[in-house]
Parts: sequence; structure tokens; C-alpha cells
Amino acid sequence: MGKPVAIIGSGQTHHGRRFDVTYPELVKEAVDAVFENTGLSPDDIDGVVSGTMPSMMEGVALTHFYFADVLRSVGKPILKTETCGSTGISLAFTGYYWVASGMADLILVVGSEKMNEGDSQATMTTVLEPFYQRFFISGAPGIFSMQSQEWSVRFGIPEDKVRAAATRISLDHHNDAFDNPYAHIKKKLTEDEINNARIITYPVRLWDVCPNSDGACAMIFASEKMANKIGKKVSWVKGLGYSGEEYWFGDSDKVRWQCAIDAARQAYDMAGIKNPRKELDVAEVYNPFTFQELLFYECFGFCDFGKACDLTLQGTFSREGELPCDPSGGTLCTNPIGATGLNRVAEAALQVTGQAGDHQISGAKMALAHAMGGVDQYNGVMIIGSEK
Amino acid sequence: MAQRVGIVEVAMTPGAESKDNFLDQIFKVSKEVLDKAGITRDDVGTVISASSDVFHGGVSCANSYYWDAGAAFLKNGSRQDGESLFAFIYAVMRILSGSYDSALVLGLCKGSENPEDDMITHFFTDPFYQRQLGLNETVAAALQKREYMDRYGITEEQCAGVVVKNLENALRNPYAHIKKKVKIDDVLASNVVMDPLRSMECAPKSEGIIAMLLAKEDLAKKLTDKPVWFKGYGSSIDSFYLGDRDLLEGQLKNAAKRAYDAAGIKDPRKEIDVAEVCEPYAFQEMLWCEDLGFCERGEGGKLLESGATQMNGDIPVNPSGGVLAMNPYVSRGLYRLAEGFLQVRSQAGERQLDKQVNTALAHSTHGFAGQCHAVAIIGS
Repeated sequence: MGKPVAIIGSGQTHHGRRFDVTYPELVKEAVDAVFENTGLSPDDIDGVVSGTMPSMMEGVALTHFYFADVLRSVGKPILKTETCGSTGISLAFTGYYWVASGMADLILVVGSEKMNEGDSQATMTTVLEPFYQRFFISGAPGIFSMQSQEWSVRFGIPEDKVRAAATRISLDHHNDAFDNPYAHIKKKLTEDEINNARIITYPVRLWDVCPNSDGACAMIFASEKMANKIGKKVSWVKGLGYSGEEYWFGDSDKVRWQCAIDAARQAYDMAGIKNPRKELDVAEVYNPFTFQELLFYECFGFCDFGKACDLTLQGTFSREGELPCDPSGGTLCTNPIGATGLNRVAEAALQVTGQAGDHQISGAKMALAHAMGGVDQYNGVMIIGSEK
Repeated sequence: MAQRVGIVEVAMTPGAESKDNFLDQIFKVSKEVLDKAGITRDDVGTVISASSDVFHGGVSCANSYYWDAGAAFLKNGSRQDGESLFAFIYAVMRILSGSYDSALVLGLCKGSENPEDDMITHFFTDPFYQRQLGLNETVAAALQKREYMDRYGITEEQCAGVVVKNLENALRNPYAHIKKKVKIDDVLASNVVMDPLRSMECAPKSEGIIAMLLAKEDLAKKLTDKPVWFKGYGSSIDSFYLGDRDLLEGQLKNAAKRAYDAAGIKDPRKEIDVAEVCEPYAFQEMLWCEDLGFCERGEGGKLLESGATQMNGDIPVNPSGGVLAMNPYVSRGLYRLAEGFLQVRSQAGERQLDKQVNTALAHSTHGFAGQCHAVAIIGS
């Protein structure tokens, strides 16, 4: 276990179709925001971590070159972390390890994506190699539909119950997003609209799917010494877990999903968490698809396998429930991929420091942040606490 | 201070096109480095790789493709994009944090399956201004070379001299890609690719799949009799737009100072026994030597002519043949470090320097005219 690492603060952009700014301007918005929110200046920063999704997303390769100036990184050490959809949480990990190693006191971490400048589903199809998988897996929904089908069949959950639970999640999160000033999709929906929305890839319907968002998130990680010096209310990294599995989609069980189970277990062990549903106050689960959120509840030990639908329908994971999940509206309402995982960490930090505004879970002290990536292949979990 | 971090072993492929596919190559070097250390995949703490979607045959999220081939199955790992010394230092950080006892670092680039490097570096440009100009790394380097010649009187012969020296060294390196004996006149007679750069002054496009095993001090000592220790690291990035920069006063000085301070080096020319410098364009070796403090500003040409950077000189530069002899874009930084490691261990075969090598420097750069630099110092 390394030195304690604090999170001083974060800055998020407003998300959406941001045709009002260029890509570097979007990044600048988040970077300016984190400096404004923390009262720190770029001169204070020892190093910068930057990351996005693959180059094909916006047609610019190795974007740390392009962003060097807006990251305020000129003359500073930089790292460029990229792990597909889990990039955001991997960025937070890089910031954590840089500080925990003792090599730096203040690290700026920035994730970004301007998805509306490219074709995200075409890009994601190129994650698959050109010989076998690329021909039959079309973008992200294809993969996640297969996974959700595998899950509901395995546990024999009736189709209408799965639909009802997914609808509940969609309804809750689309409502939650109204309370998050940075969220992208803010839409009042009815159960009927969600149930009867057009099918994307069966059983996934339109309101089960996240949007393409433009956005960026910046965070500052600090050593204990620096956190004390700054003297503000900060949050602390309590645990980290990450695991990756086979590239070939058919090679692993995506229901008892080992990399998700392992990532959570590593993070819980480090944070000393035995019963996550009791000990966590809020969870920011990476939920680009409603069905996947249900699966994550089970893999993260929030409930037993096969039980996520029942508990969801009882309201266990709603804002007023026992373990509120994604009170920000989550990835379902806002998904700038390279920033999304970092948004989860930023939201978790806001919650445990009581700064989440209208979507604050009162008294939250321990939060989980999560992101997923690759060909349904990587999961990363970070536990953020209010006390060191 | 936590325990030191040691390099335990290294395994790598040669630079020429291989008949093995990418995944097989990755599996082989990962297996080889673990076999050399006498451990299995289960013993590895974390895996950090460096790769790039665009230098990767058109497969996005590069790490997805090779995660399991590179020994990372069900491990906590990560990836750095575009620069393998970034992966090295991130692995060092993970060990220093106390979270891991060992780390496998991978640098991956199968050049033979990529388009020309400059077609790729063209995508470093912003899509609005620079891209229409056709800017790429070679164009940027040509501008930088012209300025170097104009401001400090660097000559074509001196630039060609770097090629002659490095390709001569490469003849003794079994991993090198380009193996041919050349004379100054051959270089000067090669065709101009981007004025004033000639084809033989530009690095080739190579394969390079490399694995390096790191461990914390007590474990490193258990796994090998000859660990080579991490001493210091520094990196720095410059502004994006070339017009905003002085191309001869870049960020390498800054990166080097950080590395020297960490390693306690005061007089680099004296204290460093061998330097592996990333010179995708011949003149850059001279310019970088100035930034690294081996000579004064503008004296890089004279440094070369003095013979100091030759194999038997007082500050040998690129005994491996450098990037001019082998250029796997993403992994070239880790190849520089591997050569330093072999030299310190006296395992560099025919190219082993004829002196005691205690301290080695590895440098890498990526981006236009050296937009980003990284320097690592290792030693016995």
C-alpha cells in the first residue's frame, strides 16, 4: 500500500453536441474548471495525465500533442493513458500511482472525447480485428445485447421482468440527469415510451442506450502533504481494482464476469469493504446500457446473481434506496467515452465531499466509481472515501 | 524512500519483418523474459504496455487485441499510448507505490503491417490548419534541420557522419533492421525526401516487440545476479504548433534535467558511460546530445567529429545503431533502454563497449521536431 492519495477536486464540461467549440477548446473548458474549482494554478502541477478513446474516433492520433497547450502541460512531464472504454478510470489510476509512488505531489488528470466529430460505432467496430470478429459484431450494442441475453437465459429470468427492471433503470436515470448540471440527455420519459422505443439490437431499445456525447473531465490528485497544505475538504482514494480478460468474445463467461468480479474484489480488499451494499453509500456504475447495469450489481456483489431485477424493481438502487446507483444519471445519459470513467470518479468524489448539489446523496461517505472497456473485456473500480 | 526498482531481464525481436503474427511475437517475448527470470505468468504483479492504434495495423484500442497474448489475462494492467518509456515509468511508479512487487513492461509495434510512418504521423496534425499543409514528422524534421544548419553551421557531412557511425555500429547488433556499411558519399548521394533531408538520414520502419521485467529491490536480487537499477526519469512536452516553438530550444533539456536531478548526476558527459539517443533523423542525434549536456549548444557537429560519440569515445552514443538502424515507432524508447541494460550487464555481445559501463542513459522522443521527450537513467 502506497502513500495516501487525495482528490482535491474536479471540473466537468457541459456535455452534449458541442459544435460551439473545437476539441481543444472543449478540453480547456474542463481544465479551466478544475483550476477554478480548486483554486490551484497550472504552475502548481507536477505532471499531467491525458487520455481519450482510439485515434479513429476524432481522426487525430496521439492527442496529447494536440492538447499540450490547453492541458497547460507545456514544460511538464506527461503520460498518455488509453484502455478503450475504461480509459477514464485508467486515467484516475495513473494519477493515483504517480502520486502514490512519491514521484509527484500534484497531478492533473484529463479525459476527453468529442464523439460527434466522428462515427463512434464505426470506430468501435475497428476494436475488433479485421479477420473474424469485425464481420459479425457491429459496434457496441451488438456485444452488449448478446451479454444481456446470455445473462437472462442463464438465470431463467422472464423476459418481461428483465424489461421491467431495465425500464425502471432508464426512467430513474433520465430523471436523475435533470439534477446534474453537466448531463447530456435530459428528457422526461414514460414507461410506455421506454418499453415501446425502437429496437437497436434485441433486447436493447433506444432508451436503454447511452448517447454520443462531447465532453471532458479534469481532476487533481494530491499527496497527503499537499492535501494538508491546501487545507480544503478533500476525498481519498481507498481502493483500486482492475482486470482484463480474453480478446476473443466467445472465450469467456460474460455473466459470472470474472474481470468485473475481480476488479471489485481487489478494490474492496484494499478499502476493507466486506459488504458493499451496506458499506457503500453511493455507486457510480458505468452503465452505457441499462441491462449491463443490472449485471454489474451482481458482479460487484451488490446482490446475488440472478437477483438484480427483483431488487431494482423494489427500488434498492434508486436515489432513495439502500445503495443509490448513478444519481448523476450515469453513462446512460452522458457518454463522452474517454472522459466517462473519469466522470464517474469525479461524481464519486463530489458525493463524499457533499458537493454533488441537487443529486447529492445525503451523508455519503464511501463511494464506488467504475468503468468498463475493450471487447467487453476490462473492468476498473475505484473506491473513494471522505476520510483518509 | 521505498525500495529501489530493478530491471531483471529483457527479451526482444529483431527489427526486420517477421513471419510470425503479432500475437505470436508478443507471446514469445513475454514468455522468453519470464523464462529468463525463472518465473511464470502467475508471479507477475502488473502488466503495462505501450502501443498505438495507428501504429497497429488498423485495430483500435490496441491493448484489447493483445491483452492475453501479453501475459495480462486477469491482471491489473494498463497501457500508454505512443511512447514506450511512458510505459516503463508507469510500471516503475506502480512498484514504487508498494502495490506491486514486479511489473512486465511491453513495447509493441509491428511496423511491417503499418502504412508508412509519415502517413500516420500526418494524423498528429489538427484537422483544420496543419493537415491541409501535409505536415508530418519528416516535414517538421526538415524545418528543424534547416534551422539547425542556418543557426549553427551544421553541415551535410556532419549529418551524414551520424548515419555512417550508427549503421557501422548496427553491423554488430543482431537485432538491428538495417545492416549495411555506408560512406559519407553514399548518404550525400541518396535522394532528397524533404529538403534538406535525404533518404538515408531518415529512419526506416521496423518491427519491434520488446518485453522487460521489473521488480522491487529484494525480488530483483532474488531473480538475477545482475539487476540494473532505475536511477532517474524525466519527461517534458512542448507546444503543439510548430510556429509557437523555437525548434532548436525544445523540451529535452528540461526532461534531462529532471532525470539527472533524480539520479544525482551533475556532469552528464563524465558520469554517463553510454547514451542511447532516439534519432529518427540523423541531425537530431547531434542536437539531442547538446540538450543532454554532452556538449555546448551548437557544438553537436564538433562533438561527432571529435569521435567522442564513437564506440571507443568518452561518451559513446547509440552503440546499438540507434533508431536509424531500427525504428519500431512506439517501442523504440524501450529498445534504447534495453541496450543500456545490456551494456551495464556486459551482455551486449560484439557491440559491448570496451570499458566499465556503470550508468546508461536512454532517450526517446515522439511528435513533430521532438514535441515530447523522455529520458531514463539506469545503472549498476
